[in-house]
Amino acid sequence: MKLDPSFIWTALIQLLSAIPTTLVITAVSVTIGFIIGLITALLRIYKIPVLSQIAAGYVTFIRGTPMLTHLLLIYFGLPMLVDALSAQFGWSIKSSSIPMIGFAFISFSITAGAYMAEVIRSGLLAVNRGQLEAAYSVGMTTPQALRRIVFPQALAVSLPNLSNSVIGMLHGSTLVFTVSVVDINAKAQIVASTNWKFFEAYLAAAVIFWGLTLLIERITAVIEKRINLYNRGGVA
Amino acid sequence: MGAPFDITYVFGYLPKLLSTLGMTLLIVGGSLLVGIVVGFLIALPRLYRIPMLNTLARIYVSFFRGTPILIQLFLFYYGLPEILKLAHLDISKAPVLVFVIITYGLHTGAFMSETIRASVTAVDRGQVEAAYAVGMTSYQAFTRIMLPQAMAIAVPVFSNLVIALLKDTSLAFSLGVMEMTGKAQTLGSLTQHFIEAYISLALIYLVVSMTLEKLLLIAERRLLRHEETDSTGHRRFRLEQKSSYRRMVASVDAGKGGTEV
Repeated sequence: MKLDPSFIWTALIQLLSAIPTTLVITAVSVTIGFIIGLITALLRIYKIPVLSQIAAGYVTFIRGTPMLTHLLLIYFGLPMLVDALSAQFGWSIKSSSIPMIGFAFISFSITAGAYMAEVIRSGLLAVNRGQLEAAYSVGMTTPQALRRIVFPQALAVSLPNLSNSVIGMLHGSTLVFTVSVVDINAKAQIVASTNWKFFEAYLAAAVIFWGLTLLIERITAVIEKRINLYNRGGVA
Repeated sequence: MGAPFDITYVFGYLPKLLSTLGMTLLIVGGSLLVGIVVGFLIALPRLYRIPMLNTLARIYVSFFRGTPILIQLFLFYYGLPEILKLAHLDISKAPVLVFVIITYGLHTGAFMSETIRASVTAVDRGQVEAAYAVGMTSYQAFTRIMLPQAMAIAVPVFSNLVIALLKDTSLAFSLGVMEMTGKAQTLGSLTQHFIEAYISLALIYLVVSMTLEKLLLIAERRLLRHEETDSTGHRRFRLEQKSSYRRMVASVDAGKGGTEV
């Protein structure tokens, strides 16, 4: 095997076709994960009995086990569950009708949810309690105060961490090769083994991921600047 | 897919998986050692702002934080022998484990260097100035004054790095290293009881990472024992939150989504 620099470019072109898959997996898992995370964080902050314990258990379990195990558990466990339930209730849903990428969506959303929950929780706790009290004192209801006063500030505080989570999920999406979804990593594997040029193919994949990561960081920096335009000094 | 669920398999698999726990911990331990050394080597040029090396260190950190660990594993597994061949070193016969530990070590090193940098900058500048004022050399000031304080600040982040590393080692199976995840896959395909194997795998990971967290919490308490009896009312650390909040922020800050993974 001899290093072939020109093949890096060839591989890069071929890998471009797999970028959308990676981005879709990242976007879906981050979006659903954010919603799960928000609910989990609120459950824990408001210490709702039973539910907050479940939320804490969920976060601990997910953060204590590798993302790969979540994916494998969902991949092998969900079809079993779905088939058992449809047999029980006579549904027409078959586990084989779930697309492969669906497993990735579900499992990564669950993973992202736990990580996001901690990010959002720390953001919410960082907002000064006086802000909420001030909102109440001008007659806002709790949902109003949360939506108008607390969330915007909490989001501004946790933006860097959210961007880290997004990057984490982007990198984590490489695991989908285990459930045979063709993302950048899996495509690199294919390109590498068909041409027998492993180093070059993975180098190209690394370059793409590096570029995507830098892009996310750049976008975050722009958003952060925008948010801070309206937010000079004070709580955040 | 597979055989019907049978809870007894979960317990049956536990001892079988535990037999490969040593391999997982070996990877974690080995790469932590490499990571700490690399982390220091990378952090020092940036802390002391050494021209050229500063930029190189920044690129190094950016690369390792900007690419997935899985890609890095393959990259080093296939690339390292070729690069070293240019230096007339033949390591293509080296065991896979060596590549795995080197890759995880370099990867952790990048995160470690950021941790070291952040915690050293978090120590009050006056501390070093005071050390110089009583006549310490810069080496003495660093090892005697900065390091102990910085270490206490770094522990929460460090603890998260270790746990993230533990979870990342689950990817080593993709290069054929027989650690816990690889073992679970083998057990699963032997008996077709995949789900039981993975539940038992998840349980072990959970217990190991919780144990590591507890151990490092004890370490943090020990390192901070001077702080808690600080009666002057002045806080020496810039991180002014309560330790539980600081840990939470640290855990979020490590920036490894699963990446964390």
